[in-house]
Amino acid sequence: MFDLDPGEELRLLVETTRSFAAEALTPALREAEAARAVDPAVRASFAQIGLAGLELPEALGGVALGSVARALVNEELGAADPGAALALDPLGPALPVLEELGGEEALATLASPLYSQGSEARAVLIDLDDSDLRVEGDRVAGHVPFVPADRAALLVGLGREGALVVSEGMHFESLRGAGLRAAGASSVSITDAPLAARWTDPKAAVRARARARVYVASLLLGVLRASCEFSRAYALERQAFGRPIAHHQALAFLITDMQMALDGARLLVHDAAWRLDAGLEATGAAAAAFAETIEATRLIGPAGVQILGGHGFMADYPVEKFMRESRALASWVGGLDAAREDAGRELCASSGAIALSVGEP
Amino acid sequence: MSLDFSIDPETRKLLEEARELGRREVRPAGLEADRAGAPLPPDHPYFARFVARGEGRTRWPGPEGGQRAAAARPATVQMLLLAEEYAYWDRGIMVANPGVGLPEGNVLALGSEAQKERFLGPFLELDRPRWACFAMTEPGAGSDAAAIRTSGRKDGEGWILNGAKCFIGNASRSDWILVQATLDPTKGRAAQRAFFVPQGTPGLGGFKIEKKMGLKAYESTSFTLEDCRVSGDHLLGGEVRDTSRAGFKTAMRTFNAGRPVIAANAVGIGRAALDEALAFAREQDRLDDPRVRDRIEAMARKLRMARLVCLRAGWLADREQPNIVEASMSKAMAAGVGQEATTLGMELLGSRAARGDHLIEKLHRDVKAMDIVEGTGQVQRMIIARHLVQLPR
Repeated sequence: MFDLDPGEELRLLVETTRSFAAEALTPALREAEAARAVDPAVRASFAQIGLAGLELPEALGGVALGSVARALVNEELGAADPGAALALDPLGPALPVLEELGGEEALATLASPLYSQGSEARAVLIDLDDSDLRVEGDRVAGHVPFVPADRAALLVGLGREGALVVSEGMHFESLRGAGLRAAGASSVSITDAPLAARWTDPKAAVRARARARVYVASLLLGVLRASCEFSRAYALERQAFGRPIAHHQALAFLITDMQMALDGARLLVHDAAWRLDAGLEATGAAAAAFAETIEATRLIGPAGVQILGGHGFMADYPVEKFMRESRALASWVGGLDAAREDAGRELCASSGAIALSVGEP
Repeated sequence: MSLDFSIDPETRKLLEEARELGRREVRPAGLEADRAGAPLPPDHPYFARFVARGEGRTRWPGPEGGQRAAAARPATVQMLLLAEEYAYWDRGIMVANPGVGLPEGNVLALGSEAQKERFLGPFLELDRPRWACFAMTEPGAGSDAAAIRTSGRKDGEGWILNGAKCFIGNASRSDWILVQATLDPTKGRAAQRAFFVPQGTPGLGGFKIEKKMGLKAYESTSFTLEDCRVSGDHLLGGEVRDTSRAGFKTAMRTFNAGRPVIAANAVGIGRAALDEALAFAREQDRLDDPRVRDRIEAMARKLRMARLVCLRAGWLADREQPNIVEASMSKAMAAGVGQEATTLGMELLGSRAARGDHLIEKLHRDVKAMDIVEGTGQVQRMIIARHLVQLPR
């Protein structure tokens, strides 16, 4: 039965996350960006309220929630500071890769230690199609152009056929980073390192990619929401030609279109997350949701800056950060083109009419 | 309660029935009208079969103490999914179908028992195809409904109506027309009332069925009222309004189900175009072309998004939560997406599109109206902006 109410439990989770983000992340967003790190006290409070390990099974100390919960939480975190959100989540979108391909054993041996350490140790997801890694036997070498981290305990590479994990032999070279600097930014060189794990399972890889896309898309939704809200409030304050700039129809309609793009993308992301949790086919839905969120980014990121005019271009206001960071997130997990390719191939492979029906497998 | 995007089994079953009926009855009738370039005549066998199936009946349960149970108002979400499915097969036929149609909600909410009995009574059990219609639009007043000029003047016990209406669906074949008129044109919506004008009333005339670009299956008709006299009991709700019904107008200000229906229609038409485009591209072996695949992917995605935005508006209405912004968003978005989908179909067809005999070409004409009726896309954005940024009127 179609229902957009997330229910009491998730509503509470969203409220908790929103308060945490408003108190701990938003006030420090420029500091975290400059320091390329999140304050340890903030990290402790994040873990304490149970936001780390959201999807981890209870046996491993997690909360065992699904993709819908993840999407709702990520939007709140992304609306405050997506870089900090990545810095705070020990596995981020790498967790579904370990879970889908490595199962409980990988979660217990590879993921769990990152949570229990309570340290800054993280696993970082990389797209094997977007890096230059060569695997020979049980060893790997090559180069990864960008990861949103200054260091990582694990590199988790996701490809079309499977996934691999590297835990040693990585050399991080610091980059300026286009955005997400609170999480760090570097390139990674690997010279002949052993593989910590390697799995070949195309079906599991597809499912892991769908979950990773929902993860990144929901962070993006948060950034876009923040941009919409900030620029709308500004447009109601700022006067030009004798009235608030929001009351000039050119801007009123732009603000309207931004909100429509955000709302539409969010419904697709939630639909994909619900499908994942319900165990339904979700590859196309997740790819489409990610693609639509990136298209919304193309509108909202720059428009948020545009509404503030010259002020938007200056670092005194957060909209330039929203634009940079939404762009950086949008290039992850293969970005727009790979998402469209996956969604398009799935559609065209189906015979007969296109099944658009909500909730149909 | 938790987030859920599934369709309940009852609605699924209704959708399957709609699909079957759409394929067998609705699409052929719509194509026939389009090729003839004229509305299906009232005595067309399609309408007789429609009535014989027991369709077109009023939701009014009948006079108090009657045997029939009140038909429950269907859930808006379910209604929207069905509106999408029927529009997939032919949106023009949906409007041409016999029944009370648009005025039913107003009559149920505001009409006296005597008015319901007289005007809805014949629709309890249709003895033949019967229609009714609601006449708001005028040559000089479309989306700006406050600007209507048709006037109602008190004359003894009755009322004298004068004015001109246009683009009114099914007007010339309706048993009665519910005419919106102003008692004082300087006072906007507040001074507007609705009058039942039975067919054949002296002064009601000048019926002219318009020639349209698309949606040819139903008649869009202009007519005039020249010193058209109706008795006092034809004023909807009576002269002294029952204050217990005042809630209706308040509700109308916070919920809207009309705009999401048009939005759902646009999604349905767009889906039909996309299915045809996909079938054509498959036949022509063009699905390996990434350019073609990308365009089909984008349209499928936008249509799914527009559908979800529609359902959100319906879901809010079902929970009796304000949905004005969401209703307008659904219409602004879906009408645009529907047009894009039919345009994509035309572009994939290439020169074949210009032949004028492909279903996509018809859909491309039909869907345009979805961005116009119930408030244009521009008006929807004004409504949204009034809420988002308090855009002044």
